[in-house]
Amino acid sequence: MTGFIVRRALSMLVTFIVVSIVIFLMMHAIPGGPFDGYEMPLPDNIKQRLMATLGLDKPLWEQYLRYMWGVLHFDFGVPYQSPGETVMGLVAHAWLPSLTLGGLGILVGAPIGILLGMAAALRRNSWIDYLASAVATLGLTIPVFIISTGLILVFAVWLHWTPASGWGEPKRWILPILAYGAVPLATYARYARSTMLDALNKPFVTVLRAKGLSEGRIVFQHVLRNAAIPMVTIFPVMFVGIATGSIFVEAMFRVPGLGAYFVSSIDKRDYPLEMALMLLISALYSVSYLIADICYALLNPRIRVDGGSR
Amino acid sequence: MSEAALELRQVTKRFGDVVAVDRVDLAVPRNRVVALVGESGSGKTTTGLMALRLVTPSAGQILLEGEDITALGQKQLKPHRRRMQVVFQDSYASLDPMMTLGEIIAEPLGIHQVGTPAERREQAQGWLEKVGLDGSYANRYPHELSGGQRQRVAVARALILGASVLVADEPTSALDVSVKAQIVNLLQSLQEQMGLSILFISHDLSVVRSLADEVVVMLRGRVVERAPTDRIFAAARHPYTQSLLDAVPVVDPSRRRRRTFLSAEEIAARTPRVRPHELEAPPPVDTAEPQLVALAGSHFVEAIVTERAA
Amino acid sequence: MTEIATAAPPLAKPDSVRQRSPLYFAWRRFVSNKGALGAGIVLIVIVLMAIFAPLITTTGPNEQAFLTNALNFPSGAHWFGVDDLGRDFFTRIVYGARVSLGIGFSAAVFSLVVGLPIGALAGYLGGKFDWVVMRVIELFSVVPPLLAALLLATLTRGGVWAIILIAALFGWKDVCLLVRAQVKSFREKEFIMAAQALGASPWHIVWRHLIPNSVSPIIVGFVLAIPLAMMLEASLSFLGIGVQPPTPSWGQMINVGMNFMFFYWHMAVFPTAALAITILAASLLGDGLRDALDPTLKGR
Repeated sequence: MTGFIVRRALSMLVTFIVVSIVIFLMMHAIPGGPFDGYEMPLPDNIKQRLMATLGLDKPLWEQYLRYMWGVLHFDFGVPYQSPGETVMGLVAHAWLPSLTLGGLGILVGAPIGILLGMAAALRRNSWIDYLASAVATLGLTIPVFIISTGLILVFAVWLHWTPASGWGEPKRWILPILAYGAVPLATYARYARSTMLDALNKPFVTVLRAKGLSEGRIVFQHVLRNAAIPMVTIFPVMFVGIATGSIFVEAMFRVPGLGAYFVSSIDKRDYPLEMALMLLISALYSVSYLIADICYALLNPRIRVDGGSR
Repeated sequence: MSEAALELRQVTKRFGDVVAVDRVDLAVPRNRVVALVGESGSGKTTTGLMALRLVTPSAGQILLEGEDITALGQKQLKPHRRRMQVVFQDSYASLDPMMTLGEIIAEPLGIHQVGTPAERREQAQGWLEKVGLDGSYANRYPHELSGGQRQRVAVARALILGASVLVADEPTSALDVSVKAQIVNLLQSLQEQMGLSILFISHDLSVVRSLADEVVVMLRGRVVERAPTDRIFAAARHPYTQSLLDAVPVVDPSRRRRRTFLSAEEIAARTPRVRPHELEAPPPVDTAEPQLVALAGSHFVEAIVTERAA
Repeated sequence: MTEIATAAPPLAKPDSVRQRSPLYFAWRRFVSNKGALGAGIVLIVIVLMAIFAPLITTTGPNEQAFLTNALNFPSGAHWFGVDDLGRDFFTRIVYGARVSLGIGFSAAVFSLVVGLPIGALAGYLGGKFDWVVMRVIELFSVVPPLLAALLLATLTRGGVWAIILIAALFGWKDVCLLVRAQVKSFREKEFIMAAQALGASPWHIVWRHLIPNSVSPIIVGFVLAIPLAMMLEASLSFLGIGVQPPTPSWGQMINVGMNFMFFYWHMAVFPTAALAITILAASLLGDGLRDALDPTLKGR
């Protein structure tokens, strides 16, 4: 088991380093430096001095190594768009809106999705089963910004129930939370349904029924426990899906979060911020996959013991 | 004795550290059926695949009608392949599910560019009837047939090029008893008609008895006994052969025998002892270890020679 | 000892029903899936509209023919209204289908062209080649595709071809994995060994046996790549780094429509609905095909 985790972690590390190099090279391949965009071009000598201060005149590999060395000390450099603070500082105050709204989105979406999926599994081919399938398909295929547009059109433009943009007073949070919640809702509606069905079809459930246990006790004491375990394992990966979605949710609702900064950092060719955000998200991704893998490996034998089959 | 249709000399196959087949000698005389028997894992299938050059032997020689084909590349092998064909155990897996039976039977003609497409179709039609299926089956797909019918198709495909050597790898062991008899009959009558030489790989001694002229018994990659069929059934010397014979189901209950399964230790402890005067030829090596020795009546058995021949 | 019967059996004859290929059964399963069938029909209608766009609409997509009526609401003359630059919005939406579907389809073709041979080779050869391919795919799985696409789109400054290539860059691995898994499971099958025993060349085996038996994952991979690429295009265009104006793109129209939606709802509603319906139809069609072609894959 330890061997498995170490091997997985090492392979993740190697993958992550390769990814960081690729991202680093991509950043530097983006045409135009940070000082090309201003309306009033800077004089050449000032530009060169600025480049030297920021280390942009060194060979690429040296820039990369110096950068990664800094990263190890949580030093991601200084964002070009606001030289007064550090990238870490910017990230530190930008992650609050993202995490709040995203976290609330999961808290709203996941339980509803789980309940919907469970109900669908218990009442196959009923209206609730079809509803669950429809919600899952819509949520997983339609891009987040389409869902956001739909939400704004219906609740803000048409019904005038809520403001159209988020952050600030809690009333403004409603729509972004719903938009964030769509992905967990759909993911869990589909996933809970299939894991429940899986568990319900196991022979041990037949045995319990034969023993005369009530359907309610079978579901809540036995099936749910078996179905819950695989549901836990997809949580980390879904959490990162939220991070990607934040770009669009925050652009739509004008939330000053990480996603919004990511878009503006690309617009403004802000290498340090862009690089930091890409690395953070890739690292999150890697770690989430690793955690999901470990959860899976840890929980799988227990499922077999509990399920008593296969 | 004239040269054998198929001969293996000291053929060995290693997979990593595991010796799957250990210095096997085997000869299928022209127009004869030699059965290769042993439990699963004894190396008999690997031996068959090496004879077909589908698995490359680690050492040893393979002779097809006197010609050494061990070192030939796949291109040089192609003309030889017309003379040696194969029927596998799993009749479903051995027929391409996306092809009609007509296409399957005609495929060998296409690969070796025999005749025009129309002629090939006609020949395939003829072979369908030869193996006991109506010509109208040509447009059917494998999944529409029973196991026995599919095995007939596999036989037709194997023989359409006029092969003289057939390797049959447990062709009947996946079939019902009554169907099994039909396939054995088919093989027998084709063998007589075409003068086939067959290497019949099986663990089913009742089939072997009605079909084979000689039986070769393999245990853990080695040949432990080899004799004409009658002698094997009447006077098997090796304890493993005897245990295989005991495992054959018996119709007459008064003759029912105990089913005995021998462990490796038991077999080692009961390795036959042979006195020098019983030997037909001097033992190949002067050793106290078990080795394959020749007894009277073309009977070979792995045994320990008790008093060393001077 | 069991004795073996010696009577020769009469020729077995098939019953008179017509022969049925495995694809026939797939088609039957597909047709019985009402959702997928409906999605397929909707998609065909949209594709036909895209192909025959000049016949359905009177003006070109970029003609500012109705400047005096700019931002008019939907009416008999302008079904979807007029946009801020005086263009018939219905025309824009119909031509947007061309861009969206064209990009989806082209990206899927590229994904297939790259993913199919690599997946087939990785599955058939195994060993080192397979190892390298799998490591490369692992790299792709660590980077969130949308973020990387965003970067790449900035790098290439958008444009239709850039979007197609970016979508294919992230689409090939799905096709590749599907084909690889299929080929791998068939490589050890006895009918492949039988073909080898017949002296068939590797080319013959791949072409006659492995690829026909991979038809299901190929079709599924292809169809599912289409909505993914469309989604990517729309997302990038929405952020303003995808297809550049005046080429009509639904994502870009939504972006513009956002600014007008409080007063001119039609500017946001129609492109949103068009994109949602098309992507949904394509996804449902892909899911339906997958279920029909390979019942064992059902439910991922």
